[in-house]
Amino acid sequence: MSRLKLGLPSKGRLKDESIKFFSSKNLNIKNLNSRNYFFSFQDNHNFNGIFLHAREIIERLNDGTLDLGISGLDLLMELPDEYQNNIKIHKKLSFGDADLVVAVPNDWLDVQNMADLEEVSFEFKDKYNRRMRVATKYPKLTEDFFLSKGVTEFKIVGSLGATETYPFTGSSELITDITSTGATLKENNLRIILDGEILKSSACLMVSKKCENKIIDIF
Amino acid sequence: MSEALINKKNRENISKKILNIFRKKGFNFADLDIVIDTDLLTQRSGEAFKKYALNFKDKSGKEISLRPDLTIATAIQYIQDKKKGIKKISYFGSAFRLDKKGDLKVFDQIGCEIINSKSSPEFLILSTVLLVFKKIKKTKIILNDLALFQNLISSLDLPKRWKLRLIRHSSRIDYFDELLRRLDTNYDPDSEQIKIDYDRMVKLKKMDLKQIIGGRTAEDIIERFEKKNKDTRNNFKRKQSVKIIKDFLKLKSPLNDSISKIKMFAKKNNLQIKDLNKSLVKLNNINKKFGSKYIITFDAQFGRETQYYTGIAFSIFKQKKELARGGEYNNLIKTLGGKQTSAFGAAINLNQYI
Repeated sequence: MSRLKLGLPSKGRLKDESIKFFSSKNLNIKNLNSRNYFFSFQDNHNFNGIFLHAREIIERLNDGTLDLGISGLDLLMELPDEYQNNIKIHKKLSFGDADLVVAVPNDWLDVQNMADLEEVSFEFKDKYNRRMRVATKYPKLTEDFFLSKGVTEFKIVGSLGATETYPFTGSSELITDITSTGATLKENNLRIILDGEILKSSACLMVSKKCENKIIDIF
Repeated sequence: MSEALINKKNRENISKKILNIFRKKGFNFADLDIVIDTDLLTQRSGEAFKKYALNFKDKSGKEISLRPDLTIATAIQYIQDKKKGIKKISYFGSAFRLDKKGDLKVFDQIGCEIINSKSSPEFLILSTVLLVFKKIKKTKIILNDLALFQNLISSLDLPKRWKLRLIRHSSRIDYFDELLRRLDTNYDPDSEQIKIDYDRMVKLKKMDLKQIIGGRTAEDIIERFEKKNKDTRNNFKRKQSVKIIKDFLKLKSPLNDSISKIKMFAKKNNLQIKDLNKSLVKLNNINKKFGSKYIITFDAQFGRETQYYTGIAFSIFKQKKELARGGEYNNLIKTLGGKQTSAFGAAINLNQYI
């Protein structure tokens, strides 16, 4: 059998937890402290490993140049449906937990749920003759969720980071963002609305459907 | 000659004949833009629109869409022309839409529209389109008055914001049903949470009321908070209202019978429906003019999914084939950036007709 091409996140906690996960399966990376992006496991020659950006891992699983890898569910779900057809979630892992949520300024007392937001969005459009803006790094998931809850009068504002600041700098009225504990949102005067959970995400072991059959069920 | 070429010639000949009928009825041909500024469309129907339109970005990053139908393109041209008075327009061309799977569907449409008419445009549009189909036997018409449905919702004993919500979403059938379900559940905020929020409101009231918080003034937030908490659904006849809406949507019968059925429905449910007589007179006149020649069915569900219809909507069928569809769209021009202007039009689906 040819070696399986494995992609792991190249930095941060996702990298550390991914390495721990493989160690727990007796797959220990050789020369872990090396700056080399390529790796292999001690005493196991079934894998050719590579460290990549978590988003890149999904791209490579989609085009079949990786056989399996670890990445975030949120990153996969944000991509077009075609990616979900080409990549199978083999296992949800017990790390990298984060929820994608809708958050509004804490002082928006009148907004408790998505139904309120739907109403406010129409009132906002009538009053200011423009649509309410939602800052996010997840435009597709946000758009689908808002539409499913009847909120149609909004406009997505793409964000690259520090999304929590947007409602207070005049760049958006509300946000959707990924959060583990909600602490950063709270510290930035934002409140998650009651039915505003868009996605429960975690790290996942993903497999390219092109080589689904080659994967030995060792995980 | 290849089959494709024969089909093309056939299509061209038929479209010429139809446009000629339209011309004789006073409609002038307009060459409509094939691409539309996406922002204009999302401003009108929100982000949902993007799901079924084919959108692109130009070199400057501006989003443009292939026209999803020719009525919208007509309305945009009317605004751009800045002409006042009645305008009778005919057109011929393709409309581009994505289906639920995201596959592109192209429809060849040929149609006529009357914009800014003060008299009853439904007679001219219906008679013009029916003239095209005069050689087709057993043509059937399905008809509805969407203004009647909206006025029915307005007459119900429900909080004003709930009536508005139901009217706004009446074209999104699944979501509308979800709203009806919600009216039957305890979805209003719980009293404990309101108590906490009232304490916070006291603090908010001490602020400068014009202060902007996430794009909204403190005043707006307080006003809506107080209105919402006064206006809970428990004080209204919500279950009864849901039943009335559901029962009304089941009305489907020959137009002749429907007029008396609608009257009885309003009486039985003790509803004071605004402009009820106006709607019934309109339906009665259509019945008088076309009812002897055609089988006309009133269907309270018909046309709901077309967001811009505001009054009479109709469809012409030959057996199960929908040959043409049209209706009144009095708010479309305003929502696309023009003035409030009445409009009525219909389009023949050439793919079905041929």
